[in-house]
Amino acid sequence: MNLEATSTNNNKPQRLADFETLVEALDYAATGVTGCNFYDARGKLQAVLPYSELHVRAQKSARRLLQLGLQRGDHVALIADTEPEFIVLFFACRYAGLIPFAVPVSVNLGSHEVYVRQIRGLLDGGQAVAALASVDFIRFVEEAAEGLPPLKWLGTPEQLANVAESDIAFQPNQPDEPAYLQFTSGSTRFPQGVVITEKAVMSNLQGIVRTGLELRPGDRSASWLPFYHDMGLVGFVLGPIVSQLSVDYLRTRDFAIRPIQWLRLISRNRCSIAFSPPFGLALCARRVRSADLEELDLSSWRVAGIGAEMIRPDVLDNFAKALAPAGFNPHAYLPCYGLAEASLAVSFSRLDQGLDVMCVDAKAMAERGVAVRVQAESRKVNEFVNCGRALPGHSINIVDDNGIELPDLRVGRVVMKGPSLMAGYLNNPQATSEVLMPEGWLDTGDLGYVFEGDLYLTGRRKDIIIVNGRNIRAQDMEALAEEQPEVRMGDASAFEVADSNGHQTVVLVVECRISDTTERQSLIVRLQRLVYESFGIHCLVEVAPLHTLPRTSSGKLSRAAAREGFMERADWNQATTAEAGLG
Amino acid sequence: MTVKYDEILDRLGLHLQQVAGTKLEFDEDTNLIEGLGLDSYKVLDLMLEVEDEFDISVPMNLLTDVHTVRDLAQLIEQLKPAQ
Repeated sequence: MNLEATSTNNNKPQRLADFETLVEALDYAATGVTGCNFYDARGKLQAVLPYSELHVRAQKSARRLLQLGLQRGDHVALIADTEPEFIVLFFACRYAGLIPFAVPVSVNLGSHEVYVRQIRGLLDGGQAVAALASVDFIRFVEEAAEGLPPLKWLGTPEQLANVAESDIAFQPNQPDEPAYLQFTSGSTRFPQGVVITEKAVMSNLQGIVRTGLELRPGDRSASWLPFYHDMGLVGFVLGPIVSQLSVDYLRTRDFAIRPIQWLRLISRNRCSIAFSPPFGLALCARRVRSADLEELDLSSWRVAGIGAEMIRPDVLDNFAKALAPAGFNPHAYLPCYGLAEASLAVSFSRLDQGLDVMCVDAKAMAERGVAVRVQAESRKVNEFVNCGRALPGHSINIVDDNGIELPDLRVGRVVMKGPSLMAGYLNNPQATSEVLMPEGWLDTGDLGYVFEGDLYLTGRRKDIIIVNGRNIRAQDMEALAEEQPEVRMGDASAFEVADSNGHQTVVLVVECRISDTTERQSLIVRLQRLVYESFGIHCLVEVAPLHTLPRTSSGKLSRAAAREGFMERADWNQATTAEAGLG
Repeated sequence: MTVKYDEILDRLGLHLQQVAGTKLEFDEDTNLIEGLGLDSYKVLDLMLEVEDEFDISVPMNLLTDVHTVRDLAQLIEQLKPAQ
């Protein structure tokens, strides 16, 4: 059978997120001819899901979920592989008044055990009442569900299709009700579920599609971003639906192996909107060959959104240079800033302006926390990227540790408020009150400064390591180390360091008594493997003597102090990125 | 006729040498991450070469049980269609 992708042009007037709820948005999108298209690793169209069909299938599945006895407000875990069933089930949950949450798919070699533990943590932490996974992933979920209180239902979409359809009428969703949960890290021990209401996500989508992207008829999206990531889910599943755009999907894993397929999709289908964290652009630039350039025409790509991790200008410059012969327009770059606690987006830079970099004096920045503008040629500079202004109805402020607002160009905590904010962390009032402050301000955990109303991010205060757009909690890496027989509780510290070229390296320092070189080396390679299996990253492991790691008076480890100590020992400011472990 | 396991192992060995970037000693029991020091980028390079070399598509749900060179060679054998 020859599949045909959904068209870019719709036969209904475009409405830009002027809906009360997600299902209302889908009800409208279903009246047109646009939809989602799924491509395989070789760029072949594998499945097409017009919104009209999504609408029908989601409602059928919703009636089946209700037939299983699930109650309004119950949480449902969906293994989020890039395929039509995920979107069908996500909307099935919303039609049935259930609250879905996306569970990652694993892509790491040898990660079976860790992956099962991660799913178990999410089922448990997310209080899942039911879970659905494709045949490829169901066995992991079955393993994960062992030892947990029994789920009301666990199965594949095919099994769900055998359930009779309930005749219970759908109840309308309310704007203040939770729409879904978003987990902020792949944490096995401390999964943190962000509760996003219908109103929050629709406010955010409105800001994104109207102000951030200025979507218009003729736009089309392409995405390889995982559906369990906020940028993938909100930006490229919900975003296209609330604006009735057609979207072309590639699996994350297929992109990672053959990034050129993403560029081919954009070129072939004349896509105009495609986002990536910087590392995705680096993958493309690394792989693209001159023969590829001849067949690519990227001139339709008007918004190349960049976000999800600190933006390094050189990565963007490299990509732009490599793809210039294919018609890539560097003015398409749209740096933006967001976080799951704000549904997705907080600020966008200006469309059609490209990258706007401010060079500041590195010494004044490090010693006084002040951004002093200097010429790029002078020797010690930091480059920070303009991430633009808050979405309409939202505000960004820079405050000091006492919550006092700081003037322009002074580095401080980035706080924000507005209708897109989460309702809180699921069942965690303490964590919620740590970030949601009086008068509705959210402490983002990021550091930055404002200049002439635009936000510049300089780093993170929270102990979250961001690698390749993924959030990794430092304490999760430390917990891995503490599980080793050689390492005692509290004797590990994880953090990231940047060398003079801005290259980030993740470092894990463990204290232990072992003096035997072979045993130390065995611990190092084991930890590197475990970190890889759990988080998919390579890290540098330092095995240090006891009492190396600095502690506070209460005995708690300070990661910032541990980082400083490490940099001193390794003479990191002089160093270029080291590949292997010290020790 | 299907490709024999030994042949797969030989052909895989060449790619492992290339991707790991050094003349490392390894055998069927060598752990890919621990023994060959493959980082996430190198794993992607390896998957690309393996898929192109053997003309297969490796489903990611099966990679979770691949630890050693042998695991990978057996997975390729399992995925390789008859020639």
